[in-house]
Amino acid sequence: MQLPADRTLAHLGRRQRARVRDVVGDDDLARRLVDQGLWPGVEVELLTAAPGGDPLLFVLHGFRLALRRDEAARVRVDAEPAS
Amino acid sequence: MTPPSLAGTVADDVVVALVGRPNVGKTSLLMHLTGSAQRPVNFPGTSVERVESCVRVGDRRLRVVDLPGIVSLHAQSRDERVTIDYLRGEGTAPPDVLCAVVDAGKLGVELRLLQQLARLGRPVVVALTKLDVAIRSGAPVDTERLQRALGVPLVVTNGFTGDGMDALRAAVVGAVGQARTDAADGAAARDPAAVASAVRLPGRASRTATDRIDAVLLHKLFGPLALALVMLLMFQLVFTAARPFVAAVEWVQGVCGDAIAAVVADGALRSCLVDGIVNGLGSVFVFVPQIALLIGLVTVLESSGYMARAVFLLDRLLRKVGLTGRSFVPLTSSFACAIPGILSSRIIADERDRIATIVVAPLMSCSARLPVYVVLLAAFFDPITAGLLLFLLYMIGPVTGAFVALLLRRTALRGGRSPLAMEMPVYQRPSLRVVWLQVRAAVRQFLVTAGTVILLATVVVWALGYYPRSPAIARRYAAATAAVPAGPDADAARARLHAQEQAEYLEQSWLASLGKAIQPVFAPAGFDWRHTVGVLAAFPARELVVPTLATLHSLGDLEADAGAADPGLTTALRHATDARGRPTMNGLVALSMMAFFALCSQCASTLAAIRRETHSWKWPAFTFGYMTALAWLVAVAIYQVGDWLGYGLPR
Repeated sequence: MQLPADRTLAHLGRRQRARVRDVVGDDDLARRLVDQGLWPGVEVELLTAAPGGDPLLFVLHGFRLALRRDEAARVRVDAEPAS
Repeated sequence: MTPPSLAGTVADDVVVALVGRPNVGKTSLLMHLTGSAQRPVNFPGTSVERVESCVRVGDRRLRVVDLPGIVSLHAQSRDERVTIDYLRGEGTAPPDVLCAVVDAGKLGVELRLLQQLARLGRPVVVALTKLDVAIRSGAPVDTERLQRALGVPLVVTNGFTGDGMDALRAAVVGAVGQARTDAADGAAARDPAAVASAVRLPGRASRTATDRIDAVLLHKLFGPLALALVMLLMFQLVFTAARPFVAAVEWVQGVCGDAIAAVVADGALRSCLVDGIVNGLGSVFVFVPQIALLIGLVTVLESSGYMARAVFLLDRLLRKVGLTGRSFVPLTSSFACAIPGILSSRIIADERDRIATIVVAPLMSCSARLPVYVVLLAAFFDPITAGLLLFLLYMIGPVTGAFVALLLRRTALRGGRSPLAMEMPVYQRPSLRVVWLQVRAAVRQFLVTAGTVILLATVVVWALGYYPRSPAIARRYAAATAAVPAGPDADAARARLHAQEQAEYLEQSWLASLGKAIQPVFAPAGFDWRHTVGVLAAFPARELVVPTLATLHSLGDLEADAGAADPGLTTALRHATDARGRPTMNGLVALSMMAFFALCSQCASTLAAIRRETHSWKWPAFTFGYMTALAWLVAVAIYQVGDWLGYGLPR
């Protein structure tokens, strides 16, 4: 499946994996996302979503990170080749 | 930057700062490391607090400073800025040693912060935590290799058992004054992700216990159900388990009162001691069981990792009313007692979210309001209606709170929504020692700050209700008591006269004059002057309203039920009449009074706690103002609408 170029963490389906390309923007939120481990090349998997579909729960670096949907939309990703 | 003064020459104190990301287990480590009481200390020139504890290591005194969790050296909140300024030594002496608390389970992200800390140029000691969790989840770490790669002392610790504390204390003291080594420079230069993957031992990544628990607790259907159950259990436990302790406090209070009465002669001094100070102390101590239980339960939920799940489940809902998922803990707690609720608001990082939460927390119907509801509901409503009304009274809090929070976040506390971007920790068994130390610290803090304020307020209200003493009344009742004929009823008759005398004193006291003076304000709510005095007397602590109403109504009862020795407040309220014999109380007045009590800010301890937690008098003043205004408006609205519908008092 060909993925759109502006695919973000918010587009991931359950149990789907992706690799971080970059974080959009240069504000406090962007910096916070990077500080939480979302730097380029990191592998991220969507675990689950809260009831109502927001926030989302991801796994990266071996820990679980909860992000609101609009926060996840700031992180652009490349699809992870099936492993 | 000047090097830190070396210990031994200037002072034997070694200041070590615990630095790390949120949830790495800094607080557990602090408790195990020092085992002594925490002392909140303000950063110089700010109102931001840090927690400090001391422990002796040989001939040195180790001062351990617990700092708020940070994710990088780039500050975003006020607390983070102060923390980072302190680490950099800006405006104050920097710590002698940085103890970086590092979670073995997520080295990749941890080492990035460690790298930034190493660049500060202070001696660094690494305390590696949660290695057991990392091993269980299939990602063990080669600690020797990690230490070599980092080039700084590394100690494996366990925040649950307290293992590794001696080694950590020794490593910290040993690191004092150590210049930066080349190895540390090496660590600072290296790519943290590469280091993290290099030291990872081969392990089988498997479905962990946390995954299995989360499959249920974060389930679309079972998750919210489990959360509701946890909330209900917590509330029930605080409500019921605290009851015997509350009864014990009241019993001690009674015993002390009697003991004083036996020694001190009847008069101003006895009344001040018994009705003022003992009652005041009692109404402070009566909160202690609930605070201890609630803080204990919150600590258990927090350190077990469940609190983060609750925040995750509720974030969407609470965000709609301008709060955050993290507001859930303080708000739920406040249904038992607003004070521990307000203390637990510290888990909210964003200042605006935190203040909005604190300001609406006292709207939740705390357990001290229940006696008022019970007395009035029993007096004027049948059991089924009473149950329904009780439910509605409990709903007033969250509904009003949502509106107030939304309004505040759109006006005075506008903007700056705090990001969630929150780590969900691995589930773990809470350490009882840590829970106990947290409870002890919270209770101590409450007794010192709220304790002094409420005691003062109670004594002031006592004085207003006691003075002036009219000698005419004293003479009249002395004569009447002397004239009581001897017989089987003599004691009861004397007791009745005494109660009547007390009521008469109260009626011409400053408090009553004040009540009568502002009676017109409460008249539209259907209140009689006695209700107004009851409301006034309840401002330091709403527990005071029932005894005050009882004292004030003892006059009328004696006329209505001359035969009954003690008709009880319920009957007294039902039959209360004014000077012209018209009833002063009915179901509608009861309803308006209950709504008033549900919304009004009548607890000096809560206001003191708000002052403490917001570091300003502005927010307690605002809370008091808006709650009292709202209470008055709703009480008046209820009475006026009811009166218009024909349920009012006969005129």
